[in-house]
Amino acid sequence: MSKSWKILAIGILACVLVLALTPYVWILLTSFKGRLDILSTQPTWFFMPTFANYPAVFIDKEYLPLVFNSLVISLGSTVLSILIGAPAAYVFARTDFAGKEDLFFFFLTTRMAPPIAIAVPLFLFFTTIGLTDTIYAVVIAHTSFNLSLVVWMMRGFFAEIPKEIDEAAMMDGRSKLGAFVRVIVPLAAPGLAATAVLCFIMSWNEFLYAFILVAFEGRPLTVGIPGLITPHGTLWGQVAAVAVVATLPIIVFTFLVQRHLVRGLTFGAVKG
Amino acid sequence: MTKGTRPSRGQFLLDRGASMPLILPAALLVLVFLVGPFYYMVYTAMTDLSFANPDQKGVFIGFDNFRRLVREDAIFWGSFWRTIRFVLVAVSIEFLLGFALAWLIWRYIERQRLLTTLLLVPMMLAPVAVGLIWRLLLQGDFGMATHYLRAVGLLSQSSAVFSSPGLVMPTIIAIDVWQWTPFVTLIILAGLMSLPRSPFEAATMDGAGPWRQFTDILLPLMRPIIALVLLLRGIDAFKEFDKVFIMTGGGPGTVSELLSIYAYRVNFKTWNLGYGAAVSFMVYLVVLIMCSVFYKAVYWKSADQEARP
Amino acid sequence: MAVSFKEVTKRFADGTVALDRLDLGFDLGEFIVLLGPSGSGKTTACRLLAGLEQPSSGRIEIEGRDVTNVPPRFRGIGMVFQNYALYSHKTVFENIAYPLRIRKVAAAEIERSVKDMAELLRIAHYLQRKPAQLSGGQAQRVAVARALVWQPAICLMDEPLSNLDALLRLHMRTELNRLHRKLDKTFVFVTHDQEEAMTLATRMAVLKEGRLVQFDEPKTIYRRPANRFVAEFMGRPAMNTIDGVVKGGIFKAGAVACAVDRPDGPVTLGIRPEQIEFMASNAPAAMTLTVDVKEAIEPDTLLIFQNAGGQAITLRTQTNCDAIEPGQPVSVSFPKQALHYFDAATGKRVE
Repeated sequence: MSKSWKILAIGILACVLVLALTPYVWILLTSFKGRLDILSTQPTWFFMPTFANYPAVFIDKEYLPLVFNSLVISLGSTVLSILIGAPAAYVFARTDFAGKEDLFFFFLTTRMAPPIAIAVPLFLFFTTIGLTDTIYAVVIAHTSFNLSLVVWMMRGFFAEIPKEIDEAAMMDGRSKLGAFVRVIVPLAAPGLAATAVLCFIMSWNEFLYAFILVAFEGRPLTVGIPGLITPHGTLWGQVAAVAVVATLPIIVFTFLVQRHLVRGLTFGAVKG
Repeated sequence: MTKGTRPSRGQFLLDRGASMPLILPAALLVLVFLVGPFYYMVYTAMTDLSFANPDQKGVFIGFDNFRRLVREDAIFWGSFWRTIRFVLVAVSIEFLLGFALAWLIWRYIERQRLLTTLLLVPMMLAPVAVGLIWRLLLQGDFGMATHYLRAVGLLSQSSAVFSSPGLVMPTIIAIDVWQWTPFVTLIILAGLMSLPRSPFEAATMDGAGPWRQFTDILLPLMRPIIALVLLLRGIDAFKEFDKVFIMTGGGPGTVSELLSIYAYRVNFKTWNLGYGAAVSFMVYLVVLIMCSVFYKAVYWKSADQEARP
Repeated sequence: MAVSFKEVTKRFADGTVALDRLDLGFDLGEFIVLLGPSGSGKTTACRLLAGLEQPSSGRIEIEGRDVTNVPPRFRGIGMVFQNYALYSHKTVFENIAYPLRIRKVAAAEIERSVKDMAELLRIAHYLQRKPAQLSGGQAQRVAVARALVWQPAICLMDEPLSNLDALLRLHMRTELNRLHRKLDKTFVFVTHDQEEAMTLATRMAVLKEGRLVQFDEPKTIYRRPANRFVAEFMGRPAMNTIDGVVKGGIFKAGAVACAVDRPDGPVTLGIRPEQIEFMASNAPAAMTLTVDVKEAIEPDTLLIFQNAGGQAITLRTQTNCDAIEPGQPVSVSFPKQALHYFDAATGKRVE
């Protein structure tokens, strides 16, 4: 009896898995298809693969710099968020002060803020100081929302390290700051790495801030995607190639941080 | 004298628990780049600033924009209720499906790691890429999904989903469900896995059957996590922009114009920044309300845990 | 027999054998204690009886009915868990009422039963609280009330006192004794604490590595341990067991030498620390041992001697030992009537 339930459950889950993955598999296949295979009204699952789409879009249409921009923006905002956010998270995990919980919540609201509401004033601000259309504008925007992710996630990781470790380090002659840098940070390294990867993913996938803040110079891959879609004659093979490059690294990263994903996505409220 | 016995002034301050230097950069950054813009947005919303009309240089006009928005703007209210419907329907379906899947995995699958990771793929893709993928799949002439939908009779031969006004919102909801159900599954599964075994064993000894254990024990214990998932999804869905922007741009007409898209159009298509700020503010307001509910739910949970001896 | 385990074996998925052909039977109304060190299978036995685990082989019967494949809720058994397992989202009242609600008892009846039970366990004041607001002792009482409120014939308790502090533990022990006399139900109590076992049990089952070693009244288990394991497990400190050889009615092992009623050959000699006697050094039965450590646990004193081969022998006495210092020789003797003998190879008791 319970055996057949189990088989039914596995069957359902297998169907769900197929539904979840097929669209992505399709875009992968499409990126290796020639024009005729793409435009065929009968879906073609088997075909002669071509690698022409990739060079066509990344070299001829000069999308390669966009990959580079995406990398710089994601890495830059990740490093900045960690550098600024981790010490703050440590304070939240260790020190008590008046209004701490409110300040902590305040960091969360920044994460939740709708980009469309923040982007317009940011756009005006960056226009005033002449930073629009540069990578810096996007890095700063992404840092401001990744910061709360770092603070919320790292607070949990730091809190899991017993306070006695700080105390032991201080008894051994380190200052509080020294204890943090030399003892606590290495201990929290796995959590820190997971947080960094999540920051990277968030920044890499972000669209709206970047779309509004950079129109051409310094635009990341996500912003480049809509430009490939034209009312008629969209070159879907090339679009697919861009989509694959824009998503494959993230899928790899997801496998890396899967263990910490739950914590990251719930701002530390649920430990995975 | 060994190192550290005579602390510098900076270290001394740190050791005394004055942790400001560590927290200040973070607070400043947020202040300048998020709180600043917020107040600037509120201010702009009270002006007539427009880049399209050189006469409107940003004169303070009080609450005129809001008055117009709330009293006269039918398009705003249309997109507002459309967004609310979208959030309610999409999140409900995602929750029910996601919960069911999580329960199945929890109950019947022993080695879950690979399965859950694969399930996660849709939600880790950039939303823009998701929009792109589905735009290709649902393309009217050669879209793979279009083909199979027609083959099973869910779609008539001549029509395509994104050009049939009645089908656009249901399709967008379906795609959102496709992308975000794994999120619900992942979080709920984590919650189920962390449930203690003993209350269920106690209920078994007290005579409760599987259904009563589900309603009397499992659901109450899962309540904080359920609240968390619903709120996180609700907030995110309310801000939905990327996918819809890529797939339909709000069209045809305005049938898929969600609030964020409308705000974008007012700001960056008509360049009516004062009025646009008022629209943005409304989006912000709703998110802020959901946010504080979220905080209460999360805080209530941790307070509950701390009370336990 | 009201409850019986017949050849019950439990093998877990990882291959460990938690219970190995357990045969055990007892009557209704008894207070049965399952005693053993961790990993002895006592908790597994309890959970098998509850129905929370399924035996790999063998049968479990309650009042002649084979319940091996009967789900827990049809077995008529209540249970108290080690961590109490209270429902944190329900009030104390609702926690206790839950088994009755499931059995669709009328509201007025529930009200009365819960109140009665709360009176009996002295928690009537806390009925509206949530479990998080209770102390360990109170939570314990709620758990007991919940297990007993629906009048099951058997109540299982899986190390219920081990999370309480020492003083509270003594107190709850007395309460449980009182409860058992008053309610006349079968209690099955799992513990690793011999003192708890001795004070509560009408009969106790000593388990070791999944096997039943001895099942008897507490005083019998103390006075006539069935084998070396039970001897070394019971008593505080445990019984001294000394491996040696008998030759011509004299047992010898290092500095130990005493008269025994055993034929020649190797044997393990057992003697409780409190039964070793001081002797004048010139008395014929006396042997001289050197004090290694002295521990004063007023009013008693423990003297630990080091015998040849590194074996320690412990003496417990109420005699004033202020004059004795470590390193000093002391003359003692082992009275013949206090000696136990165990087979040198199998460890089984020999008379």
